[in-house]
Amino acid sequence: MAEAGRKLSLSAWVWVLIAGLAVFELVAHPLIRAAIPTDDSWAAATAFVRARYQAADRIVAAPSWADPIVRSHLGDLLSLRMAAPADPAGVDRVWELGIRGATTRDEPPNLEEDFGGVRVRMWLVSTDRVLYDFVENVDQAHVELVVADGPQECPWMKASPARGGLEHGPMTPAERFVCDPRRPWLWVGATVLQDLELQPRRCIWQHPAGTDPVRVTFSDALLGERLVIHGGIDYQSERRRIHGPVTLRVWIDDRLAGELIHRDGDGWSGIDIDTSELGLDRAEVRFETTAEDPRARLFCWSASSVRGAVDG
Amino acid sequence: MAERRALKRRDHFIGASLCLAYVLLLATTAGELGMSRDESFYVHAAKSYAGWVSLLFSDPFVAIGRESIDRAWAYNWEHPAWMKLSFAWSWLAQKHLGLFANESLAFRFPGMLTAGLLLWLIYAWGASVMRREGALFAALAFALMPRVFYHSHLACFDVPIAFFVTLTAYTYWRALSDHRWVPLVGLAFGLALATKHNSWMLPAIFLIHFLWIRSDEARAGYADRTSIAWLPSMLIVGPLMLIGTWPWLWHDTWSRLLGYARFHLRHVHYTYEYLGVSYFEPPLPVSVPFVMTLFTVSLTVLALCLFGLYHQREGLRPPWKTKLGDAMGPRTDVLWLGCMLAPILAIALPTSPIFGGTKHWITAYPFLALFAGWGLVAVIDRADLDAWTGRRWPSWAFAALCLLPGAAQTAHSHPFGLSHYTPVAGGVPGAADLGMNRQFWGFTTGSLAEWISSRLPEGGSVWICDTTTGAWAMMHRDGLIPSDVRVASSMSAADFVLVHHERHFNEVDYQAWVAFGSVQPVFVLRYDGVPIISVYENPKFADRD
Repeated sequence: MAEAGRKLSLSAWVWVLIAGLAVFELVAHPLIRAAIPTDDSWAAATAFVRARYQAADRIVAAPSWADPIVRSHLGDLLSLRMAAPADPAGVDRVWELGIRGATTRDEPPNLEEDFGGVRVRMWLVSTDRVLYDFVENVDQAHVELVVADGPQECPWMKASPARGGLEHGPMTPAERFVCDPRRPWLWVGATVLQDLELQPRRCIWQHPAGTDPVRVTFSDALLGERLVIHGGIDYQSERRRIHGPVTLRVWIDDRLAGELIHRDGDGWSGIDIDTSELGLDRAEVRFETTAEDPRARLFCWSASSVRGAVDG
Repeated sequence: MAERRALKRRDHFIGASLCLAYVLLLATTAGELGMSRDESFYVHAAKSYAGWVSLLFSDPFVAIGRESIDRAWAYNWEHPAWMKLSFAWSWLAQKHLGLFANESLAFRFPGMLTAGLLLWLIYAWGASVMRREGALFAALAFALMPRVFYHSHLACFDVPIAFFVTLTAYTYWRALSDHRWVPLVGLAFGLALATKHNSWMLPAIFLIHFLWIRSDEARAGYADRTSIAWLPSMLIVGPLMLIGTWPWLWHDTWSRLLGYARFHLRHVHYTYEYLGVSYFEPPLPVSVPFVMTLFTVSLTVLALCLFGLYHQREGLRPPWKTKLGDAMGPRTDVLWLGCMLAPILAIALPTSPIFGGTKHWITAYPFLALFAGWGLVAVIDRADLDAWTGRRWPSWAFAALCLLPGAAQTAHSHPFGLSHYTPVAGGVPGAADLGMNRQFWGFTTGSLAEWISSRLPEGGSVWICDTTTGAWAMMHRDGLIPSDVRVASSMSAADFVLVHHERHFNEVDYQAWVAFGSVQPVFVLRYDGVPIISVYENPKFADRD
């Protein structure tokens, strides 16, 4: 009898367990859907941010997959530099629109409001001041391709943009320096790179041509305390980690000031050049890219002259 | 251990009803699904093959010549012909008889038919070895898997190969005890070979199963042992059917067969996001097919499948662990387990090409559903549910309760079948948090058709990202998109740019930002709050309003 009783209770347990799973699925499904913020919640949250937005504010989404929703509401406030930051400089406040309890920062915010499941949080941040953004001033540069006969000028021109598409690399801007129409990748201009972490980076495309440098010269660039330089290679090219390095040399008034050697796997990486000792407010700054093997070296870099933030 | 029970007319009535109902359901819901990338290739191929079929009737000697065959069959040579020929016949029927509501349905109908027939087969095989409620549950549990429901709509090979693999397994199982079925094993295997290369693993599965039975018989001291006649039938009739149904192989046969095999053995790797990592070269984590199954099939069905396996453990016992002298019959459990595990393990192998989508091991799911049917029957029996009331309704109510989650999830998944995840993953937003693949094939553009049409009343152009021009053309022919809304070959020339959200497509998002100087989409198509497609508007044309 005891054996029969034990079996009966076990059987009842299996039945209840399976029925419980079914009920769990049936209940969880609408609960998950009910927790999704409505369009009104997004509209209220983004209106709140828009009313308080200032020029040096950065707006981010948490989790990151919600970013297209945030940009659809507030994208007109976002410059390419803010949407595809090459470095953290130039930001006074960070606004975060988060759902599902996700966040991008651990520290307590300076402001927090909830709009029907969309949590708005704001942090005051202390970042370097940007004195000169080389990417945004690329049209002021002078670009040359150094060949055996000497430097060959790359003219700034309107040229047909790329079609776009998967594995097509960064978009060619409508206006850019064109070095060799026979080599359509040999251009210089501002674009957005998908880095090794698939993050957007506002940067200057400067594909190396080989051991002879592609040269970009800013004849009268503002200098601050530091020159912050980053570089990376397009995700599709870098992820296989089979190609050789790219060298970016930085010259300030004809003196080699720094060198960034980018190897596959480095991702979006950079160097800081201390310019505080030079005693210069302005200088000629030259960027040269070279590579032993330039194949598939879809290299893009950014640089900013910065000065440390002033508290208060 | 499961012995075969003869099916009655009532069983086939139930099976046929399932088939018919499912095909009708698929046909009535297909209009909401934009054509997928792969479908558009097969449609193109089917049209080319249809031209050759017409030539075969009008001038057979010219048709079978190498020049005609190469001209018609060189396109999409990497896949066998059977289903594409079916699509071609269906399209020809549409052209001449106007049987279907639109052209895409004509191409999709043969695939839908195999989905319906597969339900019939699942039910019939289930009813041969278990009580009818278990068999019915298995068929419905399979039909109500969201990913199965999605793939069942398509002019593709995934559900058809699930049908032909299951059919081959069934004919093999019947041939073990009835010699009249031996030729049918070869025929069914031939159709499977002529549908998709998933079929290549079948002889190995059957051989293992067969050796299992033989080992049982040897230990039981049987003199009259099960015949291996099914194997030559498979190995002779199968390849002949593959070649016979595929004119591409009628010339230069060996090199083309080798090319076909080489294409799949050295298949390119897709980029596939799984738990936050975009994999693009092997090895894909071994867990992928298991976790994806957990995240896309109703948990209740999975639990019943596991319970069914537990319940059938006696029949799964290896020969050396069975009592000496005991024969275990046809070992249906072992066959089903082999058919269920082999496709999953093939994808889990670290050396396998990176695919990722559940469709690549969808041939496992009919057997998963059958084990779930067994599990259901076992749970009902053990709980003795009907004894409580003296009536059968508690069993049926329990079965219905177990089917409801799949039904609710499938209903909600449409037309975003590949983006759907079950509550175990936290639903669609939970899967997005976990970094799971959100879609592929660009078919979700179909869900934007109305929006695009309303925004471009006087025509215009759209850059269509992962959607193919063939799929777009089909939306034209189906009347989903006005014919004056064209495909733009370049972002900068388009009125609108679409970005299908898959993680490795981020670069396309960034390209649109640079092309238009703006990071603001004018519309974000969402499914359960998760972005599926962003639409960017070209500022050059934004003043059309």
